[in-house]
Amino acid sequence: MRQVLEGSQAVAFAVRLARTKVISAYPITPQTHIVEELAKFCAEGSLDGRFICVESEHSAMAALIGAAAGGVRVFTASSSHGLAYMHEMLHWASGARLPIVMAEVNRALGPGWNLWMDQTDSLAQRDTGWIQLYCEDSQEALDTTLQAYLLAELVNLPVMVVLDAFFLSHTFEPVDVPGQEEVDRFLPPFAPKFRLDTAAPCNLHEMAGPPIYMEMRRSIQAAMERVPEAFRRVEADFAAHFGRSYGAVEAFRCEDAEVVLVMAGTMASTCRQLVLDLRARGERIGLLKLKLFRPFPAQAVWESLQGVPRIAVVDRNNSAGAGGIFAQEIRAALCNRRERPAVHSFIAGLGGRDITLGTLETIYRRALAAAAPAPESEWVELDEELAQS
Amino acid sequence: MTEPFGGIELMHSGHVGCPGCGATLAMKLALRALGEQTILVIPACCWAIIAGGHPETALKVPVLQTGFATTAAAASGLRAALDFRGERDTTVVGWAGDGGTFDIGLQALSAAAERGEDFIFVCYDNEAYMNTGVQRSSATPFGTRTTTTPGGGGKRTGKKDIMAIMAAHRIPYAATASIAYPEDLMRKVRRAAAIRTGTRFLHVYASCPTGWGFAPQHSVKAARMAVECNMFPLYEVEDGTRYTLGGRGGSPVDEYLRMQSRFRHLDAGAIARIQDQVDAAWARLEKQARA
Amino acid sequence: MNQETMDAFKVPLFFSRSSVSTESHRTGDWSFIQPSFEDRTAPCSEACPCGTDLPRVEALAAQGRHLEAWQAILMENPLPGVCGRVCFHPCEQACNRGEFDAPVAVHALERFVSGQARPDPAPGRSAARPRRLAILGSGPAGLAAAAFLARLGHACEIFEAASEPGGLLRWGIPAYRLPAAVLAREIEAILALGVKLHCGAPRDGSLAGFDALLAACGQGRSLGLGVPGAELARDGLELLRAARTGPARPAAAGARAAVIGGGNTAIDVARTLLRQGLRPVIVYRRRREDMPAFAPELERALAEGAELLELHAPLALGRGRAGLRLTLQKMRSLDPGPDGRRPVTALPDAPVELLVDEVYGAVGAEPDPAWLELMAHTPATRLARCSIAFGPAPVAFIGDLGPAPKSVSEAIASGKEAALALDAWFAGGAAAVAALAACRVGAGPALSMASYLGTGRARSSRPVRFAELNPAYFVPAERAEPPVLAAAGFGEVEGGLEPAAAEREAGRCFSCGTCNGCDNCRTFCPDVAVRLELGARRIDTGFCKGCGVCVEECPRGAMAMGAEEGRP
Repeated sequence: MRQVLEGSQAVAFAVRLARTKVISAYPITPQTHIVEELAKFCAEGSLDGRFICVESEHSAMAALIGAAAGGVRVFTASSSHGLAYMHEMLHWASGARLPIVMAEVNRALGPGWNLWMDQTDSLAQRDTGWIQLYCEDSQEALDTTLQAYLLAELVNLPVMVVLDAFFLSHTFEPVDVPGQEEVDRFLPPFAPKFRLDTAAPCNLHEMAGPPIYMEMRRSIQAAMERVPEAFRRVEADFAAHFGRSYGAVEAFRCEDAEVVLVMAGTMASTCRQLVLDLRARGERIGLLKLKLFRPFPAQAVWESLQGVPRIAVVDRNNSAGAGGIFAQEIRAALCNRRERPAVHSFIAGLGGRDITLGTLETIYRRALAAAAPAPESEWVELDEELAQS
Repeated sequence: MTEPFGGIELMHSGHVGCPGCGATLAMKLALRALGEQTILVIPACCWAIIAGGHPETALKVPVLQTGFATTAAAASGLRAALDFRGERDTTVVGWAGDGGTFDIGLQALSAAAERGEDFIFVCYDNEAYMNTGVQRSSATPFGTRTTTTPGGGGKRTGKKDIMAIMAAHRIPYAATASIAYPEDLMRKVRRAAAIRTGTRFLHVYASCPTGWGFAPQHSVKAARMAVECNMFPLYEVEDGTRYTLGGRGGSPVDEYLRMQSRFRHLDAGAIARIQDQVDAAWARLEKQARA
Repeated sequence: MNQETMDAFKVPLFFSRSSVSTESHRTGDWSFIQPSFEDRTAPCSEACPCGTDLPRVEALAAQGRHLEAWQAILMENPLPGVCGRVCFHPCEQACNRGEFDAPVAVHALERFVSGQARPDPAPGRSAARPRRLAILGSGPAGLAAAAFLARLGHACEIFEAASEPGGLLRWGIPAYRLPAAVLAREIEAILALGVKLHCGAPRDGSLAGFDALLAACGQGRSLGLGVPGAELARDGLELLRAARTGPARPAAAGARAAVIGGGNTAIDVARTLLRQGLRPVIVYRRRREDMPAFAPELERALAEGAELLELHAPLALGRGRAGLRLTLQKMRSLDPGPDGRRPVTALPDAPVELLVDEVYGAVGAEPDPAWLELMAHTPATRLARCSIAFGPAPVAFIGDLGPAPKSVSEAIASGKEAALALDAWFAGGAAAVAALAACRVGAGPALSMASYLGTGRARSSRPVRFAELNPAYFVPAERAEPPVLAAAGFGEVEGGLEPAAAEREAGRCFSCGTCNGCDNCRTFCPDVAVRLELGARRIDTGFCKGCGVCVEECPRGAMAMGAEEGRP
């Protein structure tokens, strides 16, 4: 059924369709609309679930670990400092191999206090063993959340569904909401591969010393390496049921591009428009949208960039001392390939600063004109003098 | 076979608890009272190690080990899951040390208690961070020498009154218990398990020969002396307001203090001060019991 | 996607999840000391002349298993009904509970337990070569010797000069302390073991057809007062004998009698006289506290109306106008001599005259000269409580003829020792007799028949002292006192405990040195290393870390820590 939904609502609808049982939440802007919607669903009975109003994000994740280990489907949402607070338990969730799904609304970290769009928060968790999937619009947010459950339960790794603060979380768009019956056919009831069971007692998350820890870590890595295939299967199944798919990456007009802009999130929508506009004027520009960030889709990225001489990675984040994180990951993924594009790294739109068609065009032209990529990421549209003062 | 005071044995031999470990004794007795339909939630603490390293377990009930601060949160989530699976008869029990209760775990515990979460939270109190090498916690008594309060007169502040804190949450049941009084401990565990209308809290005295500095064979004796000199009085609190006290012990504190090397540096003045604090605390309890 | 498709998608899933028991760790290797259950001797058992396994008796009685409790006593003492009435209960003085609140009323419990319906005969064994033994005298020593020898498979014949058996038990202890029916029942049980009894059959010390002889004739001759006019005094023992047999004396309302002496006989004489309507005064040359009589007996006598005149020694006896004039010298007590006894010396006061109707002497007794002569001519080895001339035809001197202190329970012990020693001698000569030392209870001198038979529980000879108990587990409780019945007439004065009171009192026993299954060890072991299997407790040394909590928390000192076997 087609509805006009806020991005946050779309996520909440998906969580309900997935028949999630335990939801824990601690409020932080701009994730609040997701959990408020879910609280309403639980209160009115349209979602048969328990909503636990925990006292911190760290506890929110801990509660889900307890519930998932108990053998039910779970969900939480966080953002920015909340996600950072949760950090220890993010590691725990993946080490525990629990299929936890979380919506993460990309928001800047302070100080200075900033409520708006920035990717640094989710990317700073890239080592925690969570699968990360980035969304461009409300439909994708709903669809990806549904897919996240199936994916998580296939590989026993937690999944983070990432939305832009405000640009996605708080904008309304028409969304195709699948019917419950069809969703049930796509996503069967949760059948945990293991759980806390008094009939078969075990000690979960116990000490694992030097003789055995490495094997457990390798297992996580090995499971991660199965994710691209698992995601393909999930998407294929989803497409069969609902007629939509997104791909781990999406190459848009990259075939003969001189410059491909690489990015994730709602700015990909803006970039599509730029590509259409510039292509109409004969410029050979393409867009590579990244959806799957963890595991990093190295193969898919390389294949999409075959024959492309240069890329301009647009990072709405920064790792101080190392530059834009998407750019780092792409360089690492490509560095041993014989033929690879020059990677130009740009940083834009931190803390909710708008990324416009103009911003992206500036980036395109700079990449096109530059003989070689600058050693450090190039920061665009900021008061450099102020920053250097 | 039925064990003394009832129940079956749900703890294995071969665990790595120190000789004379009060915490393992507390677990053994509590599990006898709880039975097989129990799932434990254990944070970082001595019991996280004693529960067994991969691939072993020292217990015959399921255990969920969790982050240090998170016992009460994980227990809340687990309870919700069990309810959806229709396993109402399984008791969820958080089992945390004093650090994971009084300090890093207090926030989550307070939240769970306020939400009225249906589980038992047992704090086995050995009065310091023993697992990491005897560092002080807010459960460490006034005057104690620990590795982080090594000098002079030991810890300068008193033991946090965790029972008062839990009582302030108006939970249905809170009680202190001691390994020296196994029947009483098991009675309180059973009582806590039978209540399903909110969080239940048990503060269990678990003597620690290693960390407190006395011979292992005196482990139970130390626990008994603590009760008898009122440093660890036995009492129950219902709904945060109705206090039922065990009898007042008749011993002075100094014999109890002198048997442990963690207190051996205390001079007569400090001991007198401790005696006053203990007497005042008892008087407060009596007042609450009369109210 | 359906569940089947999902299940077919295999993904590595190796993570921290454990279910193998920690029992693969042999934590017993941690320690070099280990506890063990050590059945030890309770001080009451050690103090009991018969070495009765009192903790076992108390434990059975506390559980209401009175018949078994009685069996447990009969193993070591064939006359519990007697002892439960007349023994001076050294067990109670040794009782560790005395240092906690009050000793267990073992004496009253023994009497209670012995009042059960007839038990099975006490166990014994057959002898490889049964012997025929003659026992002269059917007092407590002779009866006990016969009982033990019969249980050991020998043929015993008791020759009793008097018309009825019992010796002092019948003739020297009044019925209000030991009813005839009680004595008769216990003697019958001894005879039922196969002992032959000949009454009215005095016999000399010749063996004639017997393999061994036990002289148990006691001290039948009262000592004289040794003062002028002593012939005017009556024999106290004779009074007691007459009270048992003869017709009741006509009441001599208010007649005054002096009883000279300080032992139990003097007390018995005084209390008998009271019951015959007289007003007795006990005259004793030393202080009250020096009297060899049992203090409670004296207290009873005084409570019943007897008077005591201490520190007065008889000088002479003469006829007075209406009765007798007893001349007495006031004495004073001196400091104790090297033997611990306090001598007395005359005060310079003028003698005192006491006018009485009757005077009774109860200053001691000695064996008949024939036995003294026999003893003089029979070189005998002195054991703890008897003397035995070993040889091809042994002769034993037991009871009051032996070296032990003079009391009923010592006499029984004497007969027991002689019986076991003779059986050992017959079976294995001097070496076997020496080996009897292994049957001593604690430091002795009591012997355990159960040990001798090899059926007893092995008990370490170290008795348990109060300091080794853990009194935290005991709750002060009042000691049960049996009721005092009517003091008039010759019916029993001291009553018995009711069953509920008896069980409660038996429950006060600390069970020193004996595991009574309280399970503190199992409750308090942090390593689940104390096991209970098939009713027996043991330490699982594979897991025990040697912490010692079990030993510390054992209320009754029935555990000990020691070096592990096989460890340096």
